[in-house]
Amino acid sequence: MNNLSMALKNLKKNFSFYALYLLSVSFVITVFFAFTSFSMNTVMLEKISGNGRVEMMCNVISVFLMAFVVFYMSYSNRFFLRRRTKELGVYALLGYRKTTVLSLLTTENLLVCFGAFIVGILLGIFFHKSIVFGITKLLDLSINNSKIPFFNVNAIAKTACFIFAIVIVLMLSNSRFLFKTSLMGLVRFEKSAERKMKFHAVPSIVGFCCIILGYVLALDILRGDKSVWFSIGYTPIAMLTLVLVVVGTILFISSFLPFVVHISKNNKRKFYTETKIITSPNFIYRMRSNSKTLIMLTLLSAATLTVSSVMALSLYYPIAAVSRMAPSEIECRIENESEIDAIKQIVNEHSSKNDVSFLQTNIYKVTSTSEQVPLEYSAGSSKGDSDNEKILRNAGFECISYSNYMALLEAQGKKGALEQIGGLHDSECILVKYQPASDNAETGNVYPLLIGNEEISVTVIATTLDNPISFANSIGTLIVSDDLYDAIAEEISPETEVLSINGQSIKDNEALFLDLSEYLNDSPYLQGNSHRIHEIFSLSSSTFLLLGFLVILFFIATGSILYFNNLSAISDSKADYEILRKIGYTDRTVKKIIKKQTISFLVFRFYSGW
Amino acid sequence: MATLLEANEVTKIYAKGQRPSLNKVSFNVAESEFIAIMGASGSGKTTLLNVLSTIDTPTSGSIVINGVNLKQLSDTGSADFRRDNLGFIFQEYFLLDSLTIRENISVPLTLQKLPHKKIEKMVRSLAERFGIASQLDKYPNELSGGQRQRASAARAIVKQPSILFADEPTGALDSNSATELLKTLKEANDELHTTILMVTHDAYAASFANRILIFKDGSIIRELLKQDADRRTFYETIAQEVAKLDTER
Repeated sequence: MNNLSMALKNLKKNFSFYALYLLSVSFVITVFFAFTSFSMNTVMLEKISGNGRVEMMCNVISVFLMAFVVFYMSYSNRFFLRRRTKELGVYALLGYRKTTVLSLLTTENLLVCFGAFIVGILLGIFFHKSIVFGITKLLDLSINNSKIPFFNVNAIAKTACFIFAIVIVLMLSNSRFLFKTSLMGLVRFEKSAERKMKFHAVPSIVGFCCIILGYVLALDILRGDKSVWFSIGYTPIAMLTLVLVVVGTILFISSFLPFVVHISKNNKRKFYTETKIITSPNFIYRMRSNSKTLIMLTLLSAATLTVSSVMALSLYYPIAAVSRMAPSEIECRIENESEIDAIKQIVNEHSSKNDVSFLQTNIYKVTSTSEQVPLEYSAGSSKGDSDNEKILRNAGFECISYSNYMALLEAQGKKGALEQIGGLHDSECILVKYQPASDNAETGNVYPLLIGNEEISVTVIATTLDNPISFANSIGTLIVSDDLYDAIAEEISPETEVLSINGQSIKDNEALFLDLSEYLNDSPYLQGNSHRIHEIFSLSSSTFLLLGFLVILFFIATGSILYFNNLSAISDSKADYEILRKIGYTDRTVKKIIKKQTISFLVFRFYSGW
Repeated sequence: MATLLEANEVTKIYAKGQRPSLNKVSFNVAESEFIAIMGASGSGKTTLLNVLSTIDTPTSGSIVINGVNLKQLSDTGSADFRRDNLGFIFQEYFLLDSLTIRENISVPLTLQKLPHKKIEKMVRSLAERFGIASQLDKYPNELSGGQRQRASAARAIVKQPSILFADEPTGALDSNSATELLKTLKEANDELHTTILMVTHDAYAASFANRILIFKDGSIIRELLKQDADRRTFYETIAQEVAKLDTER
C-alpha cells in the first residue's frame, strides 16, 4: 500500500474528525482568499483609495492574516499529531522508516490543504463578490463589474503558494517531532504530567500592577487635553499600554494561576466532591499548556474586543459629531435675497411633499467690552492657520433670537433639547459652546454687549452644545431674548444670513445637495447633515472594511482555538470517562464534569480578556 | 455464611445463531469468599465477570447481588449500584492518569460523599496496607506496573464493596509484583472480609482463592475447593486440572 492510499484510507476512517479540521481550514482559506482578491482588485482600490492608504492597510493586515493562518494550522496539526502518536509508533514498529511516516503525514496534510484550497477558493469568490457588492451599494459607487474578474488568477496563485508554504512549515514541524521522539517514546506514548508550576509572588504582583497600570493609562485618555496621551503623544502611550497589558497578562497568568489552583485544591471540603476531584487535577495535570492557552486566548480576546471597539467607535463618534457639524439637513449662507427663491425652487424640484421648512436666521455680530470672554468669542480670528486665513473671522458674539433658536431646534427634531430650555429675560442669554466643558465655567458670567453707543449687559444662564447653526456659519453663538434681538437689529445690520432647510422628504438626497452646491458655486458655507454622514462613510469605508476583516479573523482565531482546545481535552480524557463510568459515575455526572471543565476555561478567558 | 451473589441459568448470546458465550451458568457466592474463575481463552470467564458486574447484560437468566436483582436496574440504577456495592480491578489498571494516586483512591469515596477527613484517613490506612503510602502524591505513570495495580486494588477496596471483581489482575505484572498483589488481596479477604471474584488463567494466582470454578465453552465444568489444603497443595491440584483441561481440548 503506498502513502497516498494509506493517507486516503486514514482520512476516510476518521472522516468526522478530519471534516471539522477541513471545515475550519476552508473557512480560514476563504477569508484569506477573499482578502487577497480584494487587495488585488485594482478597480475597487482605485475608487476607494486615493493616496495608497488602503493598499498600505491591506499590506499590514495581510501580514496579520498570514501569521494567523500559519499559527492556526500549526496548532491544529500538533493537535492531530498528538492524537496519532501511538499509531505512528506502530507504523515504525512494522518497519516503516521515519521518512516514510513523515511523507504519509505530509500527504495527508496536502490532501486536507488541497480540499480546503478548493472549498476556500469557491467560497472566497462569493465572499469577495459580496464585499464588492456591499461597498458599491454603501458608497453608491459606479463600478463596472465586468472589469472585476470572477477568478482573480493572481489571488489564486498567491493563495496556492501560501498554502504550499504552510504545508512545508507543517512538514518541518512534524519531522522535528518524529526525529526527536524515540521509537519507544512513540509506541509507549502516554499522558504524563507537565512540569509543575510554582507560585511566584513578585512576578504575579508585577503582572497585576502592569495590567492595572495599562487600564489606568487607557482610561486616562478620558481626561482629554490633560491626559498623557495628549502631552506625551498617542503612539508611545499606545505602545506602552499594549506592552503593559501583554506583559502583565503573561506574568499574571503564569505566576498567579498555580496559586489559585493551589488554594482551590487546599480547600479539602470542596475538593473532595465527585466533580471537583476530577476537574481540578485535570487542570493541574496540564497546567503549563493550559496557562499558555489561557494567555493566548486572553490576548486574542482582548485584541478582538479592541478591534471591534475601534471599529464601532470610529463609526460612532464621527456620526454623532455630524449633528453638531451640520445640525440642519441643509444649511447655506444667503448673499442676496434672490438666492432664496432659487434655492426653494431647486428644493421643490427634488421634493414634492410639503414637509420642508425653510428658516432664515439673521446673525448679528456684537462685540463685548468684557475682559473675560469665552474661547468661542475670538475663535478663528487669528492669523497663522493657512486654511482659515482666507475666511478670517471677526471676533465677537453672534447673536440670534430665542424664538428663532426654538424654531430651528424644532425643525431639526431636537425634542430633548427643547424640553430643557426655559424662558429668557432681556438681561439673560444662552451661550452655544464649541467644545464640551464639564465645569460650566461660563454660567453666571456677565458680558457687556456693545449695541450702537449703548452697553447692555447679559448674564449667561446656561451653556449648550445644541448649536442650531453649523460652525461653518456661526461660532460664539449667543441666544438672546427676542426684545434684545430686535434692539440689536435696529442698531446694526446682520453679519450673515443663514437659510436652514429641514424636512423628512429631503433626507439622504445627495442629488439635491449636489444641485445646491453647483448653484452656490461650491460654497464652503453650504452644509448638509446626510451629505456629511455619506462623506464619512465614503472616507472611512476602507478602514471599516479592513477592520472588519481583522475582527472576523480574531473571532475565527479565538473560536477555533477554544474549540480545538476543548476537543483535545475531552478526547484526551475519553478513556478516563469510561473508567469513571465503571467506578459508578452516572452519565449525567460525567457530562457535568465535562461542562465544568469547559465553562471554567471559558469564564476565565472571558473575564481576563475584557 | 450468607449468600451474597446468586447467578441462575445466566445465558449470554452476542449474535443470533452463534454459540452462547455463557450457557445457563448457575452458582452462588457466599459472603467473604475468594473465588477464582479459570478457563481457556474464549471460555466465557470475562463475559461472566461483565454481566455479574453490570457492565454488560445477560440474554437470559437472573443475577441477584445483595438481594438486588440486576435485571431490574436502570442505567442510573446500575451506576448507583456499582458505586455502592462493587469494586473493580482490571489487567490494564484503569487508573486516571491526571490524578495522583491519593486522588485516584479517593474518587470512590467522594462519590459516597464522605467527609474529607475520613477520606484522607481511609486512603492513608489502605495505602499503608498495600505498601504504596510513599507513592500517594505521584502520578500513575511515575509508578511501576505492580505499584499501579496495587493502587488500582486499593481504589477498588477502599469503599468496602460487597464484592470485588478482578479481571486478570496479574496479567501484566512480573512474578514478584503478582505475588505481592495476590498476597494483598488475600489479606483483604481474610482481614477485611472482602468478597472477591477473580478471573484468571494462571494456576498460581488461582491458588490464593478458596474455590475455583473452571469454565469451558460458556459453562462451569468443574469446581475445586481448597478446604484445609495448604496453598502449595491446592496449586498442584489446580495445575493438574488445568493440564487435564488442555489434554481434553
